[in-house]
Amino acid sequence: MKHVSPNDVAGETRVKAPTRRALAKQQTRAKVLAAARKLFSEEGYEGATIRDIAAAAGMSTGAVFANFTDKSDLFREIMTADMSSLAEAMRDAAAKGRNLEDSLLRAFMAGYGFYKTRLPLARAAFSVAWSPEEGQVLRNLPPVLAQQELIIELLNAAVERGELSQESEVKLRGQMLFDAYLANYNQAIFQGWSLDALQARARDQIRILLSGGRRG
Amino acid sequence: MRTAQKQATRERVLCAARDLFGRLGYEGTTIREIARQAGVSVGSVFTTFASKGEILSQVMQDRLDGLYAELDRVVPHLRGPTADRLRTMFAIHFAFEEPHLRLFLSHIAATYDWTLPETARPFGKTPRLQQIMLECLAKGVELGDVDPETDLQGVVDLLMSAYAWTYRLAAWQGADAKTMTEVMDRQIGLIATGFSRQAVAVS
Repeated sequence: MKHVSPNDVAGETRVKAPTRRALAKQQTRAKVLAAARKLFSEEGYEGATIRDIAAAAGMSTGAVFANFTDKSDLFREIMTADMSSLAEAMRDAAAKGRNLEDSLLRAFMAGYGFYKTRLPLARAAFSVAWSPEEGQVLRNLPPVLAQQELIIELLNAAVERGELSQESEVKLRGQMLFDAYLANYNQAIFQGWSLDALQARARDQIRILLSGGRRG
Repeated sequence: MRTAQKQATRERVLCAARDLFGRLGYEGTTIREIARQAGVSVGSVFTTFASKGEILSQVMQDRLDGLYAELDRVVPHLRGPTADRLRTMFAIHFAFEEPHLRLFLSHIAATYDWTLPETARPFGKTPRLQQIMLECLAKGVELGDVDPETDLQGVVDLLMSAYAWTYRLAAWQGADAKTMTEVMDRQIGLIATGFSRQAVAVS
């Protein structure tokens, strides 16, 4: 494989039709990412090695390192892609809600539905999210922040509509809702909860977390 | 004789691990260093424990046994509204964990550890903590300030996630036990509004 200089990468964004070299690079990256996704799911973050990922992608470790700086770079790339799709799905789901409670529940269910088919990867992600070193980076990925931001927006909109009182501690409540949403993955991953069971639990939790701020 | 020897190795490994985890953190500690400090071979560490994660699980379990013994003494004497009893319990937790914050984060992360055997008790599988909270809430139902319709396990899960989240403030923003307790107090207040029985006056 030819070495691709940073200039070529920068050129990609300006030229409309990508060069053959850029296409090849894209394909290589996609292949590595697919292999990494598989191994992170099967072996966990700690258990997956760059060497195994390269072997699964059918290339040398050198070729992997030409495209990604290290394992955390690979993992971040995968999570960024997933979290971006998820953030969008949550926003779309929330837009269909009849009220605050319904919108939140729909957003949460979009998340559980998304990860239902990839729980092993979710497990790897949670493990990384709590690690003292990498946790903060993962939690602060822009699409993850966008999901928290969505919850805050929904709460603020409810305050504006008069559904929630003005002094309803939007920030703390939003953080707690997001944490409750995340904590339920534990049941999904380890106890095999169905989407229905998750929905029932999430609905109860949302009600509890909203009740203090409700008007009337 | 062999059992006694195995038990002695186990104790030495745990003692070394407790010290190293405390000083270097979980991530910064290797099995090799644990073996060296314990004065045993790497091989005999592995005949006693399957992984570093399992050692952490055992170290935490031993530490937490002390905490729960203290709570068992304190909890029966707690008075007042359910929210305040919960607040006191968590304040005790934060004070207890403050000197070992990074270790506690690793303990939470271990919930998702691949290598742990079924018997390990990472944060997500601490039945004792959940039991204490359930009893506290059940007492509230009895006393009349917790709505009997409440899904108590759901409330426990909310408290657990709020409790875990609060540690992030310490790990990444340098918050101390006092700050964490204040934040937890507010969160408990918010949860309590959800489970409180508003129609019933507590007298």
